[in-house]
Amino acid sequence: MNNMLNVSSSPHFRSSHNTGREMLYVILSLLPATIFGVFHFGLYTLAVVIASVAAACLTEYCFNMVCRRKNSLRDFSAVVTGLLLALVIPPHVPLYVPILGSVFAILFTKCFFGGLGQNFMNPALAGRAFLLISFGKVMTDYSYDAVSGATPLAALANGEAVSVRDMFLGFAMGHTGVSIAALLIGGLFLLYTGTITWEIPVSIVAVFTVVMGLFAGHGFDPMFLLTHICGGGLILGAFFMATDPVTSPMTTTGQLIYGALIGALAALFRFYSGMADGMSYAIIIANLVVPLLDKYIIPQPWGVGKKGQTVDLDAPQKKGFSVPRSAVVLCLITAIAGGALAGVYTMTKDQIEYNQMMAKLQAYKEVIPGAAEIVYDDALTAKVEELGGEVYGEGAFGKAYINEVAVGVDESGNTVGYGISATSMEGYDGEITMAVGMDTEGKLLGISFTTLNETAGMGMLVNEDSWKAQFADKEVESFVLLKQGGSSADNEIDSVSGASTTSGAVVNAVNAALDYYRNVIMQ
Amino acid sequence: MSYRFRGGVHPNPNKELSADKPFVTLQPKGEMVYPISQHIGKPARPVVRRGDLVEAGQLIAEADGFVSANIYATVSGKVKAIEHRRTYAAVPAECIVITNDGEYRVKEGVGVEEDPAGLTNAQILDRIKMAGIVGLGGAGFPTHVKLAPKDPSAIRYIVANGAECEPGITCDDRLMREKPEWVVEGMRCVLRLFPNAKAVICIEENKPEAIAAIQKAIQGDERFSVLPLQVRYPQGSERNLVHAVTGYYMESAALPASLGCIVDNVWTLAAIYRAVCFNEPLMERGVTVTGEGAVNPGNFLVRIGTSAQEVLEAAGGLKEETRKILLGGPMMGAAIPRTDIPLTKQNNALYCMTVDEVELAEAQQTNCIRCGRCIRSCPLGLSPQLMMEAAKRGDLERFIALHGLDCIQCGCCTYTCPAKQPLVPMFKLFKPRAMAYNRAKMAKEASK
Repeated sequence: MNNMLNVSSSPHFRSSHNTGREMLYVILSLLPATIFGVFHFGLYTLAVVIASVAAACLTEYCFNMVCRRKNSLRDFSAVVTGLLLALVIPPHVPLYVPILGSVFAILFTKCFFGGLGQNFMNPALAGRAFLLISFGKVMTDYSYDAVSGATPLAALANGEAVSVRDMFLGFAMGHTGVSIAALLIGGLFLLYTGTITWEIPVSIVAVFTVVMGLFAGHGFDPMFLLTHICGGGLILGAFFMATDPVTSPMTTTGQLIYGALIGALAALFRFYSGMADGMSYAIIIANLVVPLLDKYIIPQPWGVGKKGQTVDLDAPQKKGFSVPRSAVVLCLITAIAGGALAGVYTMTKDQIEYNQMMAKLQAYKEVIPGAAEIVYDDALTAKVEELGGEVYGEGAFGKAYINEVAVGVDESGNTVGYGISATSMEGYDGEITMAVGMDTEGKLLGISFTTLNETAGMGMLVNEDSWKAQFADKEVESFVLLKQGGSSADNEIDSVSGASTTSGAVVNAVNAALDYYRNVIMQ
Repeated sequence: MSYRFRGGVHPNPNKELSADKPFVTLQPKGEMVYPISQHIGKPARPVVRRGDLVEAGQLIAEADGFVSANIYATVSGKVKAIEHRRTYAAVPAECIVITNDGEYRVKEGVGVEEDPAGLTNAQILDRIKMAGIVGLGGAGFPTHVKLAPKDPSAIRYIVANGAECEPGITCDDRLMREKPEWVVEGMRCVLRLFPNAKAVICIEENKPEAIAAIQKAIQGDERFSVLPLQVRYPQGSERNLVHAVTGYYMESAALPASLGCIVDNVWTLAAIYRAVCFNEPLMERGVTVTGEGAVNPGNFLVRIGTSAQEVLEAAGGLKEETRKILLGGPMMGAAIPRTDIPLTKQNNALYCMTVDEVELAEAQQTNCIRCGRCIRSCPLGLSPQLMMEAAKRGDLERFIALHGLDCIQCGCCTYTCPAKQPLVPMFKLFKPRAMAYNRAKMAKEASK
């Protein structure tokens, strides 16, 4: 009997909590959002969720089998990754998208780095980033069941009205996990079970709100801020992605800094880039800072009275409400980051505006070769203002805008041509703005881009002189785009290979300018 | 309102198995074994020889230096040997072995009641020292050292530790219920040494009978109070008791005296009472036998030196499915490989488990998922996860920088870990290395 007794080191009691249950809590917390997504976007979305989860589990199983590692499916972490990925992609993507995303997420970000607990960035977000790079078009197409429209943030950017109530409940365009209410229920559940702590979500939302309020140009307008908080996956990211324990800091102070970094980056991406989904990149970047935070932030054990010293027990003791140190730290970080941003912004604002102005004038001169000087005609400017910033041509040219008209004059003051600044919002990455030069007889002299953020090596090729030359010295009513190339007529333009979206946007904007020239300037 | 400390965990208190079983006095039959080291400090020096006849209450080993403690025979009989015997420790330790003649003759003068009013403070302290009293909560720090701080007038509180936060153990609870006057009178003796001190008796809220009994015993004495505490492990650690009483956390390396406190276990106070008022050395203590593996869990008054086997037999023996026996409680106790070892001054319980939770945990172990539960559970504010990473890498510098040397090995982090990482076992192995490294480094710096 005696020799059968077990011996081990203390403690001999262990809680019943284990990794599998921790992950199960996360899965449970995601269910309200998933169920709502399926209910809102249709049964096909369920297929997307299942495909994503199944692919994640299968990848992990196969990797462990091939590498002769212990089967780790029972910790449910693969299910969490698959489910999270399904929630951050559009609800009606082709099934190969979630499958490839899950395989990438599990294999490249998790298994290759040593499996559970060893990944250096959030696998679901890495999978999403991979999908966004590989399948940009389908990953930004949020239409479903023939319903199409803009996501709330895109609508807001276009100046349309957005219902925060609908966004909060989830009746909006967006990825599958679109219901803020359902996500918050899950988030509160996680807080209740102790799976996550308040530091990360609170610091993200707080810093995001402050930075947006200070710099997005709308001040602290509650509706504007609420729309941004409810949109773009901020809540999902703050409660479910950023709090991923593996890729977030261990210490409270570290978590606050990490959350503040995510909040600030997400806000910056929102208003300085066209990307509404900057949240996922903000988290990925912050993930990379985590090892540093854990290295340099060493929490001090609490306590007073060093060895051999005595403490004066009669000294008045702090009682009642005191501001937690961490809150002070958070405020300080926010203030410093905000101050630095504000400083840089004010210092560079005038310079940037001046540079933009000079670039624009340069572009006009380029497209009106005979002009010695560029001037503005009040009558023409007034006519442009009559457009009121609305889409030009009622959609005949897509989402095209006429921004301004400038006049090119020679040394003796005679008008030699007109420069029209036209924008199409339908580039692959949003805005494309160009100067279109016309002579006084209706001939197009040339085009020059002032805003162009297309994909390098593809859409950017429209900026090649040879491509732009297709427009030069043409006297036509409008241009048509030939996606396959082989243009023969004057009004036919060859698309840049593989970048018909960009090419089409350029042609639309040029056509809008031609139309405006004929119908307004020449009248 | 009950007080709550930072960190900690809430394991199943599991007190109901033995809480209602009154103490049973156990008269040992077999030979008695007395390790010469039953306390923190230098081992005692044997003062008997093989073949000597001894009586209960006779000194058999005397303190060797200031931080050391006397050891007394607890039965009458003959010294059989002074040799290395198995104890709970991994390697056999030097022990005095006495053959029990079964007569339990007591040395003359021991156990005679005497009014302590006639004693001077120096005499009281001397009696405590002579009686070989050490911290009976488990640490075994010689009590006379603790009661002799540099400036006795700076001590504001004498804290009686009746928290008993370890799951399963009920011997402190039973003592306070059955003999509250032992604790209170022992406290009165200690209070005489500290003119400015008040007595605070700390008891977890799940012992209402003990609280009531003590409250009755202290009635009318202004210097006494009872402080009920929330049921949470490790409520009974010195740090948390000092915080409960003063509102300050001790720095991890500090002693309670730095905050004007002295903390003593209730059994230590009872031993002080017996020593001062009855001139009786520390011969007997309460031991709880509990756990699902014990046939009849209960509380026993056990003579020090009795074999664990005899105590277990008194509790009806072990169930067939017993997997593990702990000396002490489940959170900090030591698992013993066999039961033929002696019980010492420090042992307050034998906990018999039918389910080895460590074995189950090892089967569920996964990689650390950095969930941070260990950090939130640490009652000292350490970062066990970061310490574990450093220890795994063998990074001594970082382990020390993370205050790893302050760890008290209470086991909260390991209890709460969902990935079932062996944090405390790792720290136990790594801490001695880090301490040696730290000493060497400090010596090097000092010689510069």
